[in-house]
This record gives sequence, C-alpha cells and structure tokens, in this order.
Amino acid sequence: MASSEFFIEAIAFLLTLAVLFYLVGDNFLFRAAIYIFIGASAGYVTVLLLQEVFAPQKIIPIISGSGGGIALAILVLLLFAKAFPPLSKLGTPSLAFMVGVGAAIAIGGAVTGTLFPQTSAAINAFEGISLFEGEGGRLLEAILMLLVTISTLVYFQFSARRGDDGKYRRNPITRVLAFFGKIFIAITFGVLFAGVFSAALTAFIERVDSIINFIIKLRELF
Amino acid sequence: MTRFISPLIAIVAGLLVLLGYFLPNNDLLGGLRAKFIEWAVILAAAALLVGILNLLTVHIKKISAKEKGSFYSLLLIISLLFTLFVGLFAGTDSSAMQDLFNAVILPVESSLLAIMVVTLIYAGIRLLRYRNDLMAFVFLITVLVIMLGAAPLPFVELPLVGSVIRPFIISVFSTSGARGILLGVALGTLLTGLRVLVGTDRPYGGK
Repeated sequence: MASSEFFIEAIAFLLTLAVLFYLVGDNFLFRAAIYIFIGASAGYVTVLLLQEVFAPQKIIPIISGSGGGIALAILVLLLFAKAFPPLSKLGTPSLAFMVGVGAAIAIGGAVTGTLFPQTSAAINAFEGISLFEGEGGRLLEAILMLLVTISTLVYFQFSARRGDDGKYRRNPITRVLAFFGKIFIAITFGVLFAGVFSAALTAFIERVDSIINFIIKLRELF
Repeated sequence: MTRFISPLIAIVAGLLVLLGYFLPNNDLLGGLRAKFIEWAVILAAAALLVGILNLLTVHIKKISAKEKGSFYSLLLIISLLFTLFVGLFAGTDSSAMQDLFNAVILPVESSLLAIMVVTLIYAGIRLLRYRNDLMAFVFLITVLVIMLGAAPLPFVELPLVGSVIRPFIISVFSTSGARGILLGVALGTLLTGLRVLVGTDRPYGGK
C-alpha cells in the first residue's frame, strides 16, 4: 500500500473515531472533527465557486457581453457590501433581485413540477380500470389512494367558522377527514423514518467496516 | 428611496421570470427569463462567498479576543485555508483535492450519518415516553412493520409482512400520503411566492 494512501486512510480513521465518540457524549474530539470538517467543506465550496463561477474566462464574457452585464457586475459588487456591516444596506437590492427571481422559479416549479404532475398521477390511478374484467380490486385501491391524498391535504386546512357561542368550529366532514389525514401522515412519516434509519444503519456498518479494515492493515504493517 | 427600490426590483424581476415561465414561445420574455436566472445563480454564488467571508471574520475575531473555544476556530481556519490553497493551486479535479475529500469530508459526512442511527433510536424511545397517543403508536408500528418487512431475519420468516403488508403500506398509504403532503407544500410555496411577488412579504429586508 502506498504511503500516501495509508496517510489518507489514517486521517479518515481518526476523524471517523472522533465523530463516533459523540456516542459517549459531546466531547473535544467530536468538536475538533466537526470544525475541521466545516473548514474543509467551506474551503472546497470556495474553490468550486472561484473556479466554476468567478473564473475570469467564465465571468468576463457574461459581464462584457450584451444585455446588461454591467448591471450584473453592480449587483454582485453591491452584494459583497453585505460582508461589511456599515455598508450592508447597499446589498439589499441584490438580495431583492435574488428573492424575486427565486420566488418566480418556486412558483413555476410548484405549478409545473408538483401540482400538475401529482394531480395527474392521482387521476391516472383510475386509468384503464374496467369493472367488467374483474379489476374491482384495482378500483378499490385507486379510490383508497385518492381518499388518502385528499384527507392528507384536508389536514393542512386550518380555517374554521365561529359558532353562535363564539367558539371556532371546523366543518364535521373536514374534521373527520383531517383526523384520518393525520393518521396517514403518521404512516407516511413512519415509512420515511424507516428509510432514513436504513440509510443511517448502512452508513454505520460501512464506517465500522472501514475501522476494522484499517486496524487489520495496521496489524499487518507492524 | 431604497425602501421602494428593493421591492420594485424584486417584483419586476420576479414577474418577468414568471411570465417567461408561462409564455415560453415569447422570445423576449424567454430570453429575459434565462438571463435573469443566470444572474440569480451568479448572485447566489456571490452570496455563498459573502457567507464564507463572514465565517472567516467571525472566527478570526474569536481567536483575537481569545474567547472560549478559540482553539476550534483555529482548526476551522487552518482547514479552510489549507483546502483553499490546495484547491487553487492544484485544481478541483486534482488527485490532491480528491485525497483531501476522501480523507476529511467523506468520512466525517458518512460518520455523521452513521451516528444518526443512535439519534433516531433515541428519538423513537423519547416519542414513546413523552407522546403516548394514537399518532405515535401508528408511526412506530409503521416503522416496525417496514423494518421487519425489509430485514432478512435468520431462521424465521414473518408471514405476510414482507410480501403483502409492507408493499401495500408503501405503494398505497405512503405514496398517497406523500402526494398529499407534496401538494400541501406546493400550495404553500405558491402562496409564499405570490406574497413576495406582490410585495406583501419582503424577506430581503425592505420595509
């Protein structure tokens, strides 16, 4: 094994142990590993930004090209003013531009990426079902899926009417649907939890395996 | 003056991008949309750089004031500058940068995910202790059924769990429940976005 490869594995081994020490409580080793990780990640992101976005060969054609490149340069410069507290207000127009464009992208994404496709998917579950060909089971499944989706969605509705006694009351149908919606949300989160747990367990096994492998290599070496 | 400029910029830029989204055949709006999104990406990158600059400033101040935990700040600055140095001189695709990634970023990320096993088990136990209701019961039973249905158990095979119940929960309840949640989130996003575009919400700081 090359010495550089061994050195990398040794650092990875030490950092893995330091992070896993968190299992006995918050301690010096865990904190040191996390700060090193944050520093390395921030450095990595900075390098990526400088080479992929702000490299002269990439940014100069955009700024010098037609179509208001100077305006972009001004917005970027104003944004950098945010790093200096006395000048930070100057960066607000740049932030406003980002927020405005971001909001428009979010709206477009929500409509074309979620609302239309998910509604179509709920409808498509009924497509091609024929009761005369013994597909009653599929129809029941499609109805159940639609009810689950509707009741989950109804759970998010929190509007209510004020009764004669001044108390707020939800529509009884909405209340029943929202109750079942809450149960279906619990089931959905249960499935998601199990998925995340499986992923974490796989990572845990992989890390323990890497520790054992490194110890075996160390024993072979000495 | 700036009170009006920032909301005006946000509303005009947002509306032009939105119009470009829904009128893709209009060349002018389509071009503006593409240009504005490109600008927003560059500005987001600049915002990240500002954030990293701020991180450096905060930790340098901590070290110079000899505050509690300044040793950790020193570690952060050293690792940041070292990575920056290696990345700028050797390049992101270089073997040195790959080695740095494999030695520090990958094992720590993976280990953080690994310790989540214990955190999740602890969260499950706490849920049973502090929220002893129907929702907690349904949630934990679902987790148990999904895990038991997926796990290859030695010597025993639970009837129906892996072959019928688990697939049914995932394909009917979980898929439709997730669809309902997604639709709810999309409606919320739509509303929040519209509030920004009409100037009711101004998260950029305009009054």
